Parts: sequence; C-alpha cells; structure tokens
Amino acid sequence: MTVGGKTLLADPLRLAASAAATALLNKPRYRIVRGRPRSRAAIVRAESYSQNLGEVLRHGLDLFHLDVRGKTVLLKPNLVDYIPGSHVNTHPLLVSAAVECFRRLGAGAVVVGEGPGHRRDTELILFESGMADALRQQTARFVDLNRDELVATPLLADYTNLKHLWLPRTVLEADFVVSMPKVKTHHWSGVTLSMKNMFGVVPGEKYGWPKNILHWKGIDRSILDICATAPVDLVIADAIVAMEGNGPLSGKARPLNQIVLADDPVAADATCARLMGLDPDKIVHIRAGAQFLGNSSCERIDQLGEPVRPPVPAFQLLPEFEYLREMNSLERKA
Amino acid sequence: MAVEPTALALLALPSTLALKRYAAIESLLDMQNPNGGWPAFSGDDEHGSGYTGLAVYALGQCGESGMPTKRAVRWLLRSRGRESYWLWKWKFRTTDRRVRFDPNKFGWPWMPETVSWVFPTAYSLLALKRAHAASHQRLLEFRILRGVEMLYDRICPGGGWNAGNGVVYGSPLTPHADATAVALLALLGESPNDSITASLDWLERRAETLRAPWSLAWTVLALHAFGRSTQSLIGRLCVVAEPAEIRDCATLSAVCLGLGCGSGPNAFGAEE
Repeated sequence: MTVGGKTLLADPLRLAASAAATALLNKPRYRIVRGRPRSRAAIVRAESYSQNLGEVLRHGLDLFHLDVRGKTVLLKPNLVDYIPGSHVNTHPLLVSAAVECFRRLGAGAVVVGEGPGHRRDTELILFESGMADALRQQTARFVDLNRDELVATPLLADYTNLKHLWLPRTVLEADFVVSMPKVKTHHWSGVTLSMKNMFGVVPGEKYGWPKNILHWKGIDRSILDICATAPVDLVIADAIVAMEGNGPLSGKARPLNQIVLADDPVAADATCARLMGLDPDKIVHIRAGAQFLGNSSCERIDQLGEPVRPPVPAFQLLPEFEYLREMNSLERKA
Repeated sequence: MAVEPTALALLALPSTLALKRYAAIESLLDMQNPNGGWPAFSGDDEHGSGYTGLAVYALGQCGESGMPTKRAVRWLLRSRGRESYWLWKWKFRTTDRRVRFDPNKFGWPWMPETVSWVFPTAYSLLALKRAHAASHQRLLEFRILRGVEMLYDRICPGGGWNAGNGVVYGSPLTPHADATAVALLALLGESPNDSITASLDWLERRAETLRAPWSLAWTVLALHAFGRSTQSLIGRLCVVAEPAEIRDCATLSAVCLGLGCGSGPNAFGAEE
C-alpha cells in the first residue's frame, strides 16, 4: 500500500532493520585493535584547486612529523567515475601534490592505486578525469587495483562473515597507505569518507562492478572488515569542493575550501562528518570503528590547524539521512 | 590466469595460430569448476562467476561444444540474480525502492548471492543464444527472454547502459560505452526497437570523444555488428592502442577484436 508515493511498510521496516544492524555492530567482532590513546587531525585551508596545493599540503603534513623514508607509499584516491562538470573524484591536483610531498619526505616509492567500483574502464576514468595527465607529469605509477595480482587474505574482523577477501598485492605490500577520499554524502551509507574509500581496494576482477557482495553483506559491516584488514596509516581528504545531497555520483558540489588530514581513519571521518554538520556517532561505521580502528570522540582527537566549524548553510542530505545531523546546543538543551 | 582475458584472447587469436588457440582452449577448460561454471581466475573459489557466459561463448566460437560447455550451459541456467527470489522481490518492491528496476526481470550476477548486472547478463545471453539444451530447451528460452527483459529494464533514460543502475533516487545515471556495447551485442537479433536505436545513437555520439582502448574497442564491435559506420573509429583505435602500452590482456584482446572488424568478420557479429 502506498500513500503519497511512500510505502507505508517501508519506514517501520527500515527503522527495525537499522536498529537491528546497529545493535549487531555494537558487538565486538574484531581480532585486532588498531586504536590508540589519542589521534591527530588537521584542517588546512585551501581556497581552490588552482593555488599551490603542494605548499598547502606540505604545511599540513609537517604537523604530523611523518617518517616515510625509504617506504613504499600507496595513495588511494577516490576515483569513482567521470561525469563532466561534477566533483565526484578526489581532485587530480591534490593527488599530484601528495605524490610530490611524499617524495620530498623521502619515500622509497609513491604509487597511486584505485579500483573503481562502478566503471570497468579504469583507463577511461584516468584519461577523462585528468588524473592520467597529473600522474604523467609526476611520472607516478598507477596500479589498477581491480586487476592487480590478488592474494586471499583472512579478514581481521568478522562483521560480514566473509572470512576472507581477495586483495591486491600492491595494497598488502605497501608500507604506508594513504586514503584520499573526496568528502561526499552517500545514498546508501550516509557519507563516503576515508573508511568507505577503502572499498576501492576490493578487486572488481573478482567481485564485479559494482562490488555488490559488499552491499549485500552490509556496507557498514564491509567497511569495518576491510579497514581492519587493510589498515590506513594516514588520511588526506579532499574537502576543497565536497559533495552534498544525492552522493556519491548525483549530488551537488559544495565548496568547503579545506583539506582534512589525520593519522587515524576514524578520527578523519569523525572530523569530516563534523565539518559536514553531521554527528559521527550516528554514522554506524564510524561509531563501530571507534571501538577498534581509531578515535571518534573530540576528547581523543588533537585538533591541529583550523578549528572545526559546522557548515553554513547546512549540508543537504537525502531525507532518510536527516537524522545524522549534529544537534546544536539549543536542540541539545531542548 | 584469469578467465575473461583468456576467453577474449581465444576469440582474438587468428585461426593461423592454431597452437596458441589450442593452449587458450586448454587453459579455459583447466579452469572450469566441477559444477560447470567458471571462476574469475585460476585459484578462485569454485562457486562460479559472471565470466562463465563469455567462456562458453569463446569456446563455442572455436567449435568446442562438448561436455564442458554443456555442463556450463546447465550452470548458466541455474545461476540467476538474487532479485529473482521471492523474498528479495518482496524487499525490492516494498522496503528498498531507491534503485528503479523491476525484480521480475532478472539476468545473471557477477558472483552468487548478488543481483543481476549488465556485463554478466550480456555475456550469458551471448552464450545461451547460441546454445542448445536438449532437455532444458524451454528453460533456456525462458532465461533468454528474462535476460533480454532485464537489459531493457536497466537501460539508462535516453539510451545506453552502465553497470546496471539506470535511475537511483530519481536521478538518472550516465551510461558507459563498454557496458552499452556489450549489452547491444547481446541484443543483436532482437526485433529493432526504440531502446536499441537510442542506445546505438548514444554510443555513436559518445564514440566521438572516446580514447580509452577498452571502451573504444567494444564500441567498434557493437556499432560494426549493427551496421553502423566504424571506419574512423577503427582508425582512432589504431592510434590510441599502442600494444606495448596496454598492460592487460583483456584490453589487448578487445583491441585486436575491434581492429579485426576492419578486415574480417566480427567475433560478436551475426548469430549462427
């Protein structure tokens, strides 16, 4: 039965399913703890993609005193599709700046890797998004993680019941993994940030386009299993122009003029959520991730650089994710 | 070793390289699962994958129609998208209506326990449209019918296909050249209709700016199979596809197949 285009059954069922999922995710199902007493997150100002991003990023990275000398660094941008005029991908100039910065920090090798989840033709996205040109100018190697050599890898968390995933050797052998998400809303998971960005390490060659088994096992659960197994060492999130509304493909561009860096993916995503005006504790994978993958609480995050300011006007969300909004102080009192 | 590049290489190898073709056939047969399906790659689990249709098609084009392909056809007839089961149909009709599609119209998934997608459905249709299943002929016809319906159902507004989501939350998604091409090849022989014409028109327009070898090669194959002009596209494919720079065998094979349209038969051309 439908009223006004809405199925009456839908909302109670969705709420019940959501409550069940939340309850289940609150049960610890991890075999490794990657959390730490405190995490660091930095917000650095970047007015546009045209200014010298290398300088801006170097300033941000200096706050973390990283030692990547001699290490193989894997940069994992969000390269999901190419839609002319739309900000769906991590900007090529930010990726290029990151390549330059890690080389200056003495990295033994800097590799860029991604396995797009929607399009089969990775090369087409590289060409048309401008990423191929940016990487060519840096003579940076790109690895298509959808078609890399695969290794059956036991999962270090058990939220999906998948037991193992085939993962790309390039990811498993990297010494230092940098998740470089585009800050976006997401029509299934609420947001797509540094943890969701790690869906891109799951190879399409095995799991298809899209990697539909991860949807069926639960996006939040899959995020937790993947991030437990393929750890993220650093996050550089592209919030210079973010996306709001019907992300990750059909949303609207939303300039925030910021880059978020963090040494912990949970802290990074919690900070990004706050920048979007969302409550990280209401985002299932951030809340569950805070049990064993990092810190989401402000009290446990050393905030470097600029302070977190909620967006004005508020970020647009799909109606079913309105509940993610962070309450302001007046609402809290009420 | 992976199934898709091996199957495409088998289709691309000329008959003059009989030993290489034989080796590709042997490799494919070695990788076949005991249940009749094909995995994604050697060493993968044995449940079967969305590449099975392509493996059957490639073997069939090389005259291999023995027991392995018969077992594979039976596997294809058993394999179906999860949306075809009553519980999930109910779910998609009641609580999960964010993606616009009709769960009655189903095809083949990339892997078990997931829903139908364009590439595996198109690969399976290519195989089944040329298959014979003596004791399952009605089921075979039913699956072809449903698979064709699924492709029409998942079409993007304005023509063309992407992975398999035409409209999400009321927003139309953009088609992809490779998925559109392979869907069109699977629909070859269907009665001409507006969906096919719109998709061919979209693909022709998209082709004007395509430079990525994989998508361009599939575009040539589809437009050629439907009698559209491909001469300039083949010329461009020659320019952009430098064999030494193509790192994966699937793309190299698709390029060879596309270039082959310039001088010989189309490996995905007219039905037998």
